[in-house]
Order: sequence, then structure tokens, then C-alpha cells
Amino acid sequence: MGNNKNIDVLIIGAGPAGVAAGIGAKKEGAENVVVLERDWDLGGILQQCIHTGFGLRIFREELTGPEYMHRFITEAREAGVEFRADTMVFKIDKENNSVWTMNKERGIECLNPKSIVLAMGCRERPLGAIHIPGTRPSGIYTAGTAKHFVNKEGCMPGKRVVILGSDNIGLIMARRMILEGAEVEGVYEMMSWPGGLRRNIAQCLDDYGIPLHLKMTVTKIHGADRLEGVTVAEVDDNMTPIKGTERFIECDTLLLAIGLIPENELSKMAGIEIDPVTGGPVVNDLLQTSNPAVFAAGNVVIVYDLVDKVSDEGLIAGANAAKFVAGKISPDIKKIPVKGGQNVRLFSPQFITGEKDAIIYLRVTHPIERACKVTAEPGLYTQRLRYARPGEMNEARIKASAIKANPNLKEITIDIQPM
Amino acid sequence: MNYDVIIIGAGVTGAAIARELSKYKLKIAVLDKASELPSGASRANSSMIHGGFDDKPGTLKTKFCVPGNKLWHKLKDELDINVNECGSYVCAFDDKEINHLEKLLEQGKNNGVPGLEIISGDKLREKEPNVSREIVAALWSPEAAIINNFEAVNALIESAKINGAELFLETLATGLLFDEKNNIRGVTTNKGDFIAPVVINAGGVHSGEIAKWAGDTSFKIIPTKGEYFLLDRTAQGFIHSFLFSCPSKAGKGITVLQTAEGNLMSGPTATEQDDPEDKSTTAEGLAEVLKGARRLVPDFPIELNVTTFAGVRANTESGDFEIGVLKNPRGFVNAAGIKSPGFTSSPAIAEYIAELLKEELSDRIKLTPNEKFIPERKNIPRFLHMSMDEREKLIKKDPTYAQIVCRCETVTEGQVLEAIRRGARTISAVKMMTRAGAGRCQGGFCCPRVAEILSRELNIPLDEITRHGGDSKLLVGKTKEFLLEKGAE
Repeated sequence: MGNNKNIDVLIIGAGPAGVAAGIGAKKEGAENVVVLERDWDLGGILQQCIHTGFGLRIFREELTGPEYMHRFITEAREAGVEFRADTMVFKIDKENNSVWTMNKERGIECLNPKSIVLAMGCRERPLGAIHIPGTRPSGIYTAGTAKHFVNKEGCMPGKRVVILGSDNIGLIMARRMILEGAEVEGVYEMMSWPGGLRRNIAQCLDDYGIPLHLKMTVTKIHGADRLEGVTVAEVDDNMTPIKGTERFIECDTLLLAIGLIPENELSKMAGIEIDPVTGGPVVNDLLQTSNPAVFAAGNVVIVYDLVDKVSDEGLIAGANAAKFVAGKISPDIKKIPVKGGQNVRLFSPQFITGEKDAIIYLRVTHPIERACKVTAEPGLYTQRLRYARPGEMNEARIKASAIKANPNLKEITIDIQPM
Repeated sequence: MNYDVIIIGAGVTGAAIARELSKYKLKIAVLDKASELPSGASRANSSMIHGGFDDKPGTLKTKFCVPGNKLWHKLKDELDINVNECGSYVCAFDDKEINHLEKLLEQGKNNGVPGLEIISGDKLREKEPNVSREIVAALWSPEAAIINNFEAVNALIESAKINGAELFLETLATGLLFDEKNNIRGVTTNKGDFIAPVVINAGGVHSGEIAKWAGDTSFKIIPTKGEYFLLDRTAQGFIHSFLFSCPSKAGKGITVLQTAEGNLMSGPTATEQDDPEDKSTTAEGLAEVLKGARRLVPDFPIELNVTTFAGVRANTESGDFEIGVLKNPRGFVNAAGIKSPGFTSSPAIAEYIAELLKEELSDRIKLTPNEKFIPERKNIPRFLHMSMDEREKLIKKDPTYAQIVCRCETVTEGQVLEAIRRGARTISAVKMMTRAGAGRCQGGFCCPRVAEILSRELNIPLDEITRHGGDSKLLVGKTKEFLLEKGAE
């Protein structure tokens, strides 16, 4: 068992962000790097993502989630990262960054690392978030919970499925349920555009003849013990169901794919500033939070579409945590605030230091279905796009040289607008 | 199966009566149709221990509410129940409503409610800064409290069981048995006949139908639905106590409160309906609750909502409880029509029922004190609320307490195992006894974990585990099973 004294970088969460952070910290020369994981196995939610499509950019291969994580975990182990599974962090003290952990073998421990990387990921929005009227029978699951039952337990949550919301997990589960022998009646999305990636719409819905109903929602849940059906209806521009458009659908399963929320209860406990729009910590491009010793990466900061990006960010956060420990990050580092333009729903990081080339990740508020461009003003970046959709993350790349060349820069404004 | 007394219904009324009667040397059977407790109105209500100023002198509600309040303050320690002794406020928005507060104050004093006081709106806002600026005055009732209603019912039943009572779940009473003199001989159920000379009707919203089996048509139950919002504990401290608006004809009106566990909650509506089992929420009902919540607390943080639910209470036409021994057939006792302030009143009702049995049914049942009665009962350890020292001690004794099952509410495997030892068989039973799944992700992460533990401990297949008993199985089969079926076609 590892040593609790002199932990240089303590990483919370062994999903894609946390494992990459471990590698990043080691590469940057940190001595004692420990990754804590609350689940019994490492890899985070990717362990239940048995479909392919992971690692296209990093490995130029189509890997399953467990394969993708296996490569990273092996690399991290070889680099000397220590993993502690089945270990829950239940408290971070604001005053001294002490991290309280618990594990069956080790009991309760108080760790005092020199720096921390938050990599707790995100969770799914539950039914309560949208308060649909009706009963509370069994057969209503978030798509991720259903995925766990199907992919990890080999059990079916139902035979005839309706999916509410069109985020990526829901789309993937639509296909999975069909492949495992269920019927999927349709996917219902309140917005006039899908929540997930275009490639998932094509590969998971279109290829299997599953209809996607935009501007529709579930307005009532029926059934006392087991779900017996749902009422769906069209919604107007204010998201209010339109009377007279209701339709009853017989089904025994309702899967919810209504979005993800960064999981920041620990961050809040640690007194870290949270961006109310992303739901994640406010960070600079070094992924340093409002607490200089605490870094954050991956879906805990902002919800990504692709795991490759999460791993990239993990590497950055881990490396910078190691640099912080080595005293290589100045306390008076430059922080140029980023501002979202008219069509920007959310973005991260919120500050640019100019220390290194950086990527600002952003999502649009309204889709643009024609040529458009992403810009970072004043004159820092322009990139032409064929389209921009809320379901797909965009990037604005900021060169460190451009920041250095402009010492009076007060603010960076990012936006995506039609050409 | 022969008993001295059969109690139909293990809601808070039946549970309190069972526990009270277990102080005597009696063979007690408690029957409930549900797979888990509580299941009826005791499950879905405001979890309020009322001060006792609401009801008119001379009513049964007043007779039992004030002593019931006192008894809960004692029971909370004896039975280790989580109670938030926070007091309550009735809020007034204008002079007319202040008049109403004065009437309530007067009535409360007559009812013997201690500590009542009318305070200014500003004084209220010193204590509760998030209430509306338009509230001009409030009636403060310091003895009012908020109880964990799940714990309370389970604590009463466990205490009764410790003292010899037997609980039969999934046992639906279907009728009464009579002897040759047409007096009570027992109860018929889906699980066979239960024989006893005394039957107590604590059937809640079904108590009217049950009374009819005994030929008692003197009262009618009007099932009345109440809908609620329940918010995440991150809203803890937004409101610290219990806020009433002034009552209207429809009931006590929409309230806002912080539950004993620190969740912000608002409700209930009061919609009369025919179906006693219809617990569905409605768009109209939820809109009414939200409107009422925002009237009291304008920034009510609805975005933190984790679930909505509804309960059906047993309203009576008379507006009062229906409690008493029938003259004919002998052996039938009503503890019926128990609704607000029913939870508060239940321990006092239970004491009264014991007195009634002594006075009016001594020919059928003898209440000899049980010298071995054990009043105390300990709750399942509440890991979330423990100090680090307490946690360390517990883990040393039993390392399963170091394994987190529910992340949102910090519930450990040790707690889930203890709930199963105490009779939990469903996901909801574990939730009500431990709070696993009661948090912000609503079981998204822990439901599969709890199902696995239930399956392992009870030695039943995972796809047999139910959410709340009956046909509420979580899973319908194995993967690819239906592909095979389709192939066969």
C-alpha cells in the first residue's frame, strides 16, 4: 500500500480525465502521484461503454470504452502512478486542502497532498429535474443506469422502450436496446435540434430506423407498479405542451437522456468557484481553479462530446499540478478573462494565461446550419465551419505568441456567427 | 393463526397502536398490503409534527394533536427517530390574515399549545431571510417539528416487533370473520385467515371500506390527493423551519419546509378524487404547488428539484377522525379517517385505543402489562451525520461501513445490509430505511448496486428484485432473451 506522506499530486477520479492527469503529472516529474477511485474498478463510466468509437483521434483506431481505458491505465501504471480503487473522498477541507478518504482496508484517512486534480466527471439529470406528471412505476431509468444493467449485468430493463431526450448516452442506448432484443418506439426531444452528435444520430437511430421526434416531450407517466405507457405531446416555442397533440404510447421502459451535470459537490465543499453556466469550476487554460493548488479536468469542468478531448485536458491538468508542486507556476500569473459572444451558451476555460497555446471549448446557443465561423477577438483566431450545433463542442485555439504580442489585452471575446 | 388482536394497516396509526399494545402481554398481528413501510398516506405527507392550534376545541383532532406532539418529542429519543425541532410559522399577508392569526393564537391557547406568539414580518425574516417581503406577520409555534416519517413508522413497527408483535407484509385484508353470535372472529386475507377476537381498523384511505365490512356505514372516506415537490439537500438552510400560509376552505394551503433530512419541500394540494390508490402527480397540481411556494418564498429554487410525488389522505365528511369501539359486532375498533394532524396525533390515538380496549372490550381481550417491555430501539447508523471519530469506530467494528453505496447521501454498504436484516426486500424499502437513492441522482448510480446487494443477500436472481413489490420488477429478463423469442417466431 502506498505512502500517504508527501503526495505530490492527488487525483480524484480514475475515469479518462483522472488517469490522463496521472500520466501528465508523472511526465512532468511529480514523484508521488495517487489516483483515487470510488468504484471497484478503474476507468469511470467508460467501463460500461462497450460500443466502439473511442480513441479515433488519439490512437487512430476505433476502440471500445474499456479498451481505450486499458491503454491509458497501463501507461499510467508503467509511469508509476498509484491507483486506489474502492476509495471514496467525502470531504475536502477548505482551509488546508486536506482530503478525507475512506476504504474498506485502509479505513478513514486524511491526506495532505501538495496539489489536487478534480476529475470526478459528471452525472445524468434525473426525472425530478423535469417534473413530468404521473405515477412513479418501475421501468424509468436514466440511459446510463440502463446501460449499466445491460452492459455490465447482462439484464434487460424492458422490452418496449421510449427515450426522452437525445443526448449521446440516449442515442447509444437506443441502438443497444435494439441489438439486445428490445423495441425502441422513438426518441423524443423537446428542442428543435438533437442533443447528441450527428454521427450518433446516423449510426444509432437512422441505421436502425428509430424515429427522432423533435419539439416533443413526455407529458405524463402511466402505470402503478410497472410502467404501462407514456403520453407524448408537441411543445411550443416556450417548451409548453400543445393541447390536442397528445398521443399515448404503450411501453414498459422510459429512458432519460436529458443531459449531464458536472459533479462538483466536493469542489463546492473545497470552496472552489463554480461557473453557474457550465456547472463546473472556473479555470484558466492551465486548468487551475480559483484555489491555486487545485486543478480540474474533463467533464467535471464542462461536458465534452469526445473522450479524446477529456484525456487531452487530463494530461494538461496533471502536468500543471506537477509544475505547481515544483514551484513553476507563478502566483501572479496573468489571467485574461474570456467572454462569450451572443451565440455562445457555455465555454471553458474562463481565463487565458498566455503561458502556452490554449484551446477554448465552446457550445453555441442556436444551431447554424450553414457556413459560419468561430472567432476569438481581438483578432486571435478565426476558423470557418460548415455548421455549428449545440450538441457538438467547438474550439477556439489561442496561440501563446499572440497573447504575448498584445501586452495590453484586457479581454478575449469568443463567438460563432454565420459567415 | 390465532392472535389476541389484529391491526389492519401499518401506517403511522397502525404502527403506533401496535407499539402501544406491545406494552401488554398480547399476541399482535399487524397486516399491510404493501411490500414495504410506510406505503400509504404515512409515506407521502408533509412530515409535520403540528403544534395543535389548527383545530377547534372539542374535536378528536384537538384532543389528540397536542398530547401527540408531546409524545413525539419523547419518542424521538426512545426510538431514535430523526426529528428537526424547528417550530413552525403561519404567515399572514394582510390585516385580514392577521385577524386569522389572532384567532388561531386564541384557539391554540385554549387547546393548551405552549409558546405561541405572533411576530412581525421583519422578525420572521431575521430567522428566515428568504421568505417573501410581503409577509406582514406570522404565528410562531415553537413546539412544532418536522419528522423523518419513513424512520418514524419503521421505528414504531420495529419497537413493536422487538416486543413480540408480528408484521405481515403483502397481506391484503379482504374481509372479516364472524363467530356464531356475529361477533368478530378474525380477518380474511390473500395469505389466509387470521383469527382474533379484536380487530383494529387502521386502514387509512381504505378505512371506510373496512368499516363497512363490520356493518359500520356511519362515515365515508373522501380520498384527497396532495402533491409535492422535493428538492436536493444543496438547498439546505434556504428555509430552516415549516412555513404555512393562512388556511383556506381547501385545507391548510401550500406550505414550504425543510425536511428532517435537510431537503427543501413544498406542497400539498388538496384534490378530492374517487380512487384511493391514484398517487399520480398532475401538471395542474404541481403548478399550484409552485405558485404557492413562490408566494411564501419568492426565490424557491425549483431548479434543484429531485422528485415530485403525491399522497392520498383519508379525509372524512365530518372533517374529524373516526375513532371508537363498535357496539355491534363486538370486537371491532375504528382508528379511521386519520389525516392531518394524524401523524402528530398517532401516539396519543394509540394510548387512547389501549384505554378503549380496557374499558369497552375487557370481555374479549385482557391488557396485562408486559414487564419485559423494552422501550428503546436504535436506528440504522446514519453515516452521513456521524463525526469522523464515530465513523472510524464503526468501520473498525464492521468494515462494510467503509464501502459507499449511495454517493449523494453518503450511505454505506453496512447500512444497506442492516436494512435488509431488518426486513427490507425492495429498492424503495432500502431507500426509506437508509436514504440510499434519495439524493440528487435519484438512484442513478446506487440503484444497480442496491439491487445487487439485495440479490446477493436474499439469494434471489437480480431480475427478481422489485422497486416497490408487486409487479414492479426492475428488469424483465436477460439480454438477447427476446431476440431468441423473436427468432422462434
